[in-house]
Amino acid sequence: MEPKTVKNPIVPVVMLGCALAVALPAAAHHSFAMFDFNKTISCPATVTEFRWTNPHVTLLVQAAVKPGEAAQVWSLELTSPGNLTRIGWTHSSFKPGDRIELQFNPLRDGRHGGAFKQAKIVATGQVFTSSVRDANETPNLK
Amino acid sequence: MQPDNRAGLIPHALLAGCAAALAAPALLAAPPAPVAPTVMNPPPQPKDWANLATLPDWSGVWTPNVSDQEKREKSDPIPWTPKAAAQVAHLEAEERAGRPRGLFVNCLPESMPSWMLITHNAMEFLFTPGRVTILGESDSNRLRRIYTDGRAHPPDPEPTFHGHSIGHWQGQTLVVDTVAVLPQTYIAPSEAVGVPNNGDLHIVERIHLAGPDILQDDLEITAPHVLTKTWKTSRFLLRQRARKYDIVEGVCLQGNYSAGTDAAGNAVFVPVPETEGGNWLPPAR
Repeated sequence: MEPKTVKNPIVPVVMLGCALAVALPAAAHHSFAMFDFNKTISCPATVTEFRWTNPHVTLLVQAAVKPGEAAQVWSLELTSPGNLTRIGWTHSSFKPGDRIELQFNPLRDGRHGGAFKQAKIVATGQVFTSSVRDANETPNLK
Repeated sequence: MQPDNRAGLIPHALLAGCAAALAAPALLAAPPAPVAPTVMNPPPQPKDWANLATLPDWSGVWTPNVSDQEKREKSDPIPWTPKAAAQVAHLEAEERAGRPRGLFVNCLPESMPSWMLITHNAMEFLFTPGRVTILGESDSNRLRRIYTDGRAHPPDPEPTFHGHSIGHWQGQTLVVDTVAVLPQTYIAPSEAVGVPNNGDLHIVERIHLAGPDILQDDLEITAPHVLTKTWKTSRFLLRQRARKYDIVEGVCLQGNYSAGTDAAGNAVFVPVPETEGGNWLPPAR
């Protein structure tokens, strides 16, 4: 699968200019305004680590966000383990080495981080998404 | 109590002198203040357990309506003082610029009133005789004890993250009065915008079912150092009965550690290298 952008084809060019500093705001409950939700990066990736911890789950991947570019480490942030449990995630949803088709919203400042949007595990076809709004904002009584 | 002189090495006269010296300050000091009687919490009786059945059904797990919270950032203005308003305006501008301030990235509790107002995580309510307990998900110290046994606030309560809460039932509504909240806790419309309450915070809540599976918390927040008048606002929670919503353990600081192994082969927590602000770094490339 070729890397591609949705809504904004300029993103890969922007990503070429990534700084080497790769800090990710992920320590605790916080606004997600540092992510650009008007940009979605889609690319193949390989899971390197799946950190199923509070306050925010993090998926670390090797990904080349531009065709021909060497794969680099990207850190994708999610909501809490508890919230993700309600939409079908578990602590073992991903394991190192999993090849995935990834979508994420990148950090505005160009560092190698983003807000996880969706991933499909190539081997199984299983798809994981990140939005918990629908699951949390309606009663689930059965 | 006499000094122990079993070894017989210390002359009795010296011991007597020592005893007198020890006793002298006590003789000169003012009489001790009367000790307040110890207040006992009586064991619940069968009727106390039976009375729980008359309370409304708040069972299940409750998840917040964050979309409503976001609407309220515009529709439910907070009566900030001019000084607080200036700080809020700056934080809002920073967030719009993609530089949100992380009010809670230190992993301390979201505290009162922010836990009730802006958490994105689930909570549950436990009724026992004389008390309602609210337990939250994430941040293992999200916990409120609301005493419904008729007690008053203590005369000099120790300030805490969630304050001292007493409650009583008015029909099917739990009325909660909270004082003694730490001045550092935020009054915050969002996780990126807020101002410390700066002391003398007083919160009155009326928590009730607004529908079969909607819990409504009407809050009256008085914070004289940052608000010009009492801020009246509401928070809505949705009932969840699907077992996948059961509260799971969440320890905020766990995010600062990875699973590792020490030299002896023990499973240990290994600090994750951090930048300023406690943010994670991806592994070295």
